[in-house]
Amino acid sequence: MSNKTPLLELENVSKYFGNVKALENVSTTVIAGQVTCVLGDNGAGKSTFIKIISGLHKPSAGKYMFEGHEVAFDSPRDARSLGIATVYQDLAMAPLMSVWRNFFLGSEPLRRFGPINLLDSKFARATAKEEMAKLGIDVRDIDQPVGTLSGGERQSVAIARAVYFGARVLILDEPTSALGVRQSDLVLGYVRAAAARDLGVILITHNPQHALPVGDRFLILNRGQSVGQFEKADLSFERLIELMSGRVHAA
Amino acid sequence: MSEVDGLTPTKTGDERITYRGPIKKLLVSPEIGALIGAVVVWAFFWGNGDKFGTAGSTANFLDVAAPLGIMAVAVSLLMIGGEFDLSAGVMTGASGVTIALMAKYFTDGGISLWVCIPAAFLLAGCVGWWNGFLVNRTGLPSFIVTLGSFFVIKGANLVFSKRINSLVNVSDVDKAHGYKFFKAVLGGENKFGDMKYRDIIFIVGGILFAVLMILGFIEQSLVRKQSISASDLIVSLIGVAGATFGVMTLHRTDSVNGNTVAGVVGLIGTVLAIVFYARARFEKREKIAGGFPPAAKTLLLLGILGTAVASLTGQLFDRNEERVMLQWMPTNLRLAVAILGGAFPLAMTIRSFMRGDIERRGRVISLLILRLPIICLVSLTGVVSLFQLTTVQAVRAVIITVAGTGAATCFYQARRAAGKASTKWFVNIGLLMTAAFLVVAFALRADSSAPRFRGGIFTSLLLGATLVLATTLVEASHRARTKADVSADQLGRRMILLGLIIGGIALAVRLVLSDGVFRMSVFWWMFFTMVGAFVLTKTKYGNWIFAVGGNKDAARATGVPADKVKTALFVATSLLGAFVGAMILMRLNSVQAQQGDGQEFEYIIAAVVGGNLMTGGYGSVVGASLGALIMAISKNGIPAAQWNQDGRFIFLGAVLLVSVLVNNYVRKKANEQR
Ligand SMILES: Nc1ncnc2c1ncn2[C@@H]1O[C@H](COP(=O)(O)OP(=O)(O)O)[C@@H](O)[C@H]1O
Ligand SMILES: [Mg+2]
Repeated sequence: MSNKTPLLELENVSKYFGNVKALENVSTTVIAGQVTCVLGDNGAGKSTFIKIISGLHKPSAGKYMFEGHEVAFDSPRDARSLGIATVYQDLAMAPLMSVWRNFFLGSEPLRRFGPINLLDSKFARATAKEEMAKLGIDVRDIDQPVGTLSGGERQSVAIARAVYFGARVLILDEPTSALGVRQSDLVLGYVRAAAARDLGVILITHNPQHALPVGDRFLILNRGQSVGQFEKADLSFERLIELMSGRVHAA
Repeated sequence: MSEVDGLTPTKTGDERITYRGPIKKLLVSPEIGALIGAVVVWAFFWGNGDKFGTAGSTANFLDVAAPLGIMAVAVSLLMIGGEFDLSAGVMTGASGVTIALMAKYFTDGGISLWVCIPAAFLLAGCVGWWNGFLVNRTGLPSFIVTLGSFFVIKGANLVFSKRINSLVNVSDVDKAHGYKFFKAVLGGENKFGDMKYRDIIFIVGGILFAVLMILGFIEQSLVRKQSISASDLIVSLIGVAGATFGVMTLHRTDSVNGNTVAGVVGLIGTVLAIVFYARARFEKREKIAGGFPPAAKTLLLLGILGTAVASLTGQLFDRNEERVMLQWMPTNLRLAVAILGGAFPLAMTIRSFMRGDIERRGRVISLLILRLPIICLVSLTGVVSLFQLTTVQAVRAVIITVAGTGAATCFYQARRAAGKASTKWFVNIGLLMTAAFLVVAFALRADSSAPRFRGGIFTSLLLGATLVLATTLVEASHRARTKADVSADQLGRRMILLGLIIGGIALAVRLVLSDGVFRMSVFWWMFFTMVGAFVLTKTKYGNWIFAVGGNKDAARATGVPADKVKTALFVATSLLGAFVGAMILMRLNSVQAQQGDGQEFEYIIAAVVGGNLMTGGYGSVVGASLGALIMAISKNGIPAAQWNQDGRFIFLGAVLLVSVLVNNYVRKKANEQR
């Protein structure tokens, strides 16, 4: 597996907000078909880290490489055009809009009608339903507002959307944090399904129980600092807990 | 997939969705409240006196509605996008002042309107861009940012008109070059003469509208049979003939005897037509053999009470237009009645509302509806007689409307409650409700010497009775559909759409061409409403507008250029402000520097009344337009009903509050159903 060229590499990335050091000297690698977990307590800088990866923040220092080339994004749009898709903690969805409108938000399918481009709502409805079915998700009513879906269903809409739009890197920010046991299992299943389709997945969580079964590689953050990056083979559950608590440092 | 076996697949929707009938689907749309509101408010003022609803007064309120409606379109888009523009009102004045001053004083003897008007648009575009830029850059609430623009523009309007023109009023633009063209395009009036077939078009259109609506609703609500029964269909057609004859005669005759005969024929004909159509085409159901449901008891009593109040009020009060009423009561007593009668039930209602969770609020709203007749009856009589704000006739209309609609609501709910328990009582209550409609119809008619009461209201109440009777019989004997049926649903939707189009054309012929005058302002209002609705629902930009208002971060994260969308919305609002300013200037040939000052809140009210969410992310352009219509009707109807003019603010406030509560309640209810 490790002979694959990495999709993403970040080297010694830092981010400062004024005099707040949100992130300092963090490095990681993301490989296609594998799940990289970013672990850390609340405020460790996980969200900041993935906002840098997704182009929402510019790093204050450090190197960001995509398929071996150094890149600098001006907006999330740039990152998206390279196939880096993010499912945010706040889900990046408008709760009062329907499932299909959210699914195609920002990349609406169009249909020519004389001189004007119309929103192709028929195609959008059918495709949204079909794409979600492919990941094993069955939404009842494609016209219902996203706000009326359960937490797991909302995550699944976001994941299906990213996969459909040709994501190569899929970033998930705490997708299980607000979910019950069953719903979490479901979402973790979608995560594996996405990796099986040869996407590089970055899963952010503060729950080691969720990370360990799905992850191939683990980046551990503590108060803005990197504790280190570990392969699955090198980690046990107990070791992971120790590292996350910040009491033990990596050798 | 199964086409391979040569079978036509019966398409059904996902079986986990409880099928939402056509009425529930209608309730989910944001503009429904405004649509009902516009009809109710119009009918209310129409029944209030003979001055409102004539061709002349219709032209008047459409004239008020057009500029308000155009602005409401822009403001609602902006509101859905999550922002407000308090400078939208003075922008109309600024554009008028700019055009008028340039046309008169720029260089010697002024300059062509072909230069002035684009210049005003350019200026407006800059203001809109500035508003958007500041809101995006600073992240401050647009309320504050545009309040700043509001004061600056307001000041500039006054300063420049006084400095250059030495008056706050700039007039005589008609001497400028290009005036003729712009007058025709923006402020023109086209006279058609009296339209000969206007009434016939209206009636035929109205009947087609009603028929298509009923067929469409039935199609979406019931289960189709395998084959159509021909004998039932023939009876139904005979009914159609009777109904047509009845309605035509009712409209044309004004004599009491003619009304009765035509009414009976029309009523029976319509009921036959609907009931036998349903029998011919849809499956029957089993009867539910239960006893009287106790839940319906209070509702039923309240319904009967409301009917009695409405009928008796029709008889008791004198129908003259004097303001003097209840003079025999001492002033103190009237004051006490007013305060106690109004304040007590209202305070109770508000208290339970403040405490309640959503479920309780639902109950409170229905309670509010039940209490409204009492609140209105007692407090309005007190207040009105004390201050003599309006005529006896207007008070009577208020009481009749409120008691009547309250009673109808109670009967409807009672019938619904009974429907679950017992078919027999469902029918009985339906019959009682029909009777109540007839009693009120005859009570009002007998009393009135006004042609409007004898004709229009009587006819409407008869039609109401007919509809109640027909729906009762159809619902009692046919199985309600609980599953989606794609082809039937589509057919039903198309029928309703066709009905709406025909009805809309009929109404437009009647309203817009009234007085034989068609005003360009009304055309522009319709035009911008359609463009706005189209952009919002049918293009990707509409999707972006919903998204930046619903969740700006989400929109940005998915690649929507959120800041640009917001700026574009601000620019569009300012540009439409300039358009309305130019329109009014061309119409009046003069502009006041204070024009539009304070109107920005009316635009916002229109948008909110139209079902737009103040916090953004949800709403409708058509709704906002209808909201503007409601406000224009009120503005025009209040003086026509000889109410105290200052009372219109009270009325507007009440309309705003009630519509927001109802919109909110309906939206929650509708989404719970999913
Ligand atoms: N825009 C910002 N401005 C200032 N401080 C920020 C900003 N975003 C994050 N931070 C700070 O950076 C730290 C890391 O935050 P975050 O990345 O959200 O942590 P996590 O997602 O791991 O819980 C926190 O201390 C937070 O207060
Ligand atoms: Mg976080």
